[in-house]
Amino acid sequence: MHLIETIGLTKKFNGTVAVKGINLSIREGICTALLGPNGAGKTTTLNMLTGLMNPTEGSIDFHEDYSGDRRKYLGYLPQYPKFFGWMSGLEYVVFAAELAGLSKEAAKSRAKEMLELVGLAEGGNKKVSGFSGGMKQRLGIAQALVHEPKLIILDEPVSALDPIGRREVLELMKQLKTRTSILFSTHVLHDAEEVSDDIFIMKKGEIVVEGSLVKLQNTYQQPTFFIETEMEMANWLETIKQKEWLRHVKVDKNKATLTVENLQTARTELLSDKTLQELKLIKFEVAKTSLEDLFMKVMK
Amino acid sequence: MNEIIESFQEVNWPLIAPILILSLVLMIVALIDCIKHDKTNGPQWIWILVIVFVNFFGPILYFLFGRRND
Amino acid sequence: MRSQWIILFKKEFRESIRNFKWLWIPTVFVLLGLMQPITSYYIADILEQFGGLPEGTVMELPPPSGAEVLTGTLGQFSQIGFLVLVLAFMGTVVTEKNQGTLIMVLVKPVSYVNYLTAKWVHLLILSLTSFVLGFVMSVYYTFLLIDTIPISQVVNGALVYALWITFVMTIVLCLSALLNSTAFVAFATLGTAILFSIFSLYAPDLMKGTPGMLATYSQQFFYLGEVESGFWISIFVTLGLILAMMIATIFLFNKKEFAKDVQ
Repeated sequence: MHLIETIGLTKKFNGTVAVKGINLSIREGICTALLGPNGAGKTTTLNMLTGLMNPTEGSIDFHEDYSGDRRKYLGYLPQYPKFFGWMSGLEYVVFAAELAGLSKEAAKSRAKEMLELVGLAEGGNKKVSGFSGGMKQRLGIAQALVHEPKLIILDEPVSALDPIGRREVLELMKQLKTRTSILFSTHVLHDAEEVSDDIFIMKKGEIVVEGSLVKLQNTYQQPTFFIETEMEMANWLETIKQKEWLRHVKVDKNKATLTVENLQTARTELLSDKTLQELKLIKFEVAKTSLEDLFMKVMK
Repeated sequence: MNEIIESFQEVNWPLIAPILILSLVLMIVALIDCIKHDKTNGPQWIWILVIVFVNFFGPILYFLFGRRND
Repeated sequence: MRSQWIILFKKEFRESIRNFKWLWIPTVFVLLGLMQPITSYYIADILEQFGGLPEGTVMELPPPSGAEVLTGTLGQFSQIGFLVLVLAFMGTVVTEKNQGTLIMVLVKPVSYVNYLTAKWVHLLILSLTSFVLGFVMSVYYTFLLIDTIPISQVVNGALVYALWITFVMTIVLCLSALLNSTAFVAFATLGTAILFSIFSLYAPDLMKGTPGMLATYSQQFFYLGEVESGFWISIFVTLGLILAMMIATIFLFNKKEFAKDVQ
């Protein structure tokens, strides 16, 4: 059973469709990324999951073990978290914990623990109005986690941060994977590749690609050869066109990019190819395409 | 002039003391709050002048409009 | 979820302590309450000393009655007092909505009823405490300097006026929950209160049985100790309206979507 499953989830705003009947299934205990460019409908999707927006159509089902108000099992960090500036960091997290139903003592000890976890143990007594962007983001994660939710939903958790803050939050997310399931949205492929196990790629309100990171990498990352020779390669390429290990060729005079099925066979055959040697090899490089290519293809 | 001085002597000071004290309390609290905050809506020095020189209404105006709720 | 209500209420209370609302609003009401009897007491003196009246003019101002002074106090409360209360609380929900703190609260398993009623009760406690403190001071000085009137008349009048405050403050809360701009909330609330007062003044027959007559009834208690027919209808209509506004607001608030549309 999945933690959350949506069927035909749709959201329309005055006629324009922001999310078009998407089916998401979020697995428990892992980190899932919702990847897509701005305006793809990621935030709208997350808002429907948290209950802050009502779907126009479709259903959201939570794991049957967790019945009742879905919000009890969710922690949420919006893209721009806003806090009561007159509270201290600790006061805010205690407040959030108590709202979620923790007793006064439990709220206090959990809040302290969470602030420690996100690295705000010392800043806890400072007024939130004096917090930096990175501190607010970490406070946001602390308040989202404080009631031990089954799933935390993070909306673009790193995109507003500077490189250092970004690093910190990504490391924190890796650490959190051991505690709870994570669903986060991002428009940066690298962030998704770095921390997530499952990826959903969204575009114009629809999911265009989905699967586990490993599966996507296996499917979409192919071994590639970059070959450069002194002489033009067009004729030689004609001779290998029929090989069953070859998938795709791109040639530009004396430079060629070969995408292949099987790295081993391809390498052995290519290196023993007499005709190729006669073209006077300058460069022979083995690489893998990154998901970037897939991402760019999808986003076009 | 003598009449005015006389009239001041006639004023029942214990009677109006509460008004003066409370006005002062209002002013001081507004002033402390204004100075303690780094940011106000509009220039801080103007608010300080308003609080100090506009009797009764100055502090109220500050609390209603000058204070920035962050 | 009673305990959650208390948590939300405590948050309101603490917020109003930290931003000094609990200090300055009661102080303003006490000052307003003090000024009315004291200026009434000195008005003759002041006119005589500073009025620049020609020498020899004999001042024959009839001394104001106690009921007159208390009515005057409520007049101050209805003008400056209401202005202060409405402006101070117009943002109670709107600001949280617009700043984005609201979604951070509502994404927790928070009942909307708790959220709104906690704010409502806090708002009423602060306004009514300010009113009572200010009015008690006014009564004390009126009795001391001007004239006494039976305490039961004073209490009855004050209770009726307290209901009028409750009514207006309920409008502030409801509009703050439903509208999207603080200026709108203040404008609509004060507009409603002013319309009620004007119509009650110039067309009392038309306004019989509405909240608009409450201030008039409290004056009648001060002057006469009894009220005209239609009093109880006004009371029940006002209570009914308060209840209806709260229920409607909670209902509409439940249906609202608070996440801002970024598309």
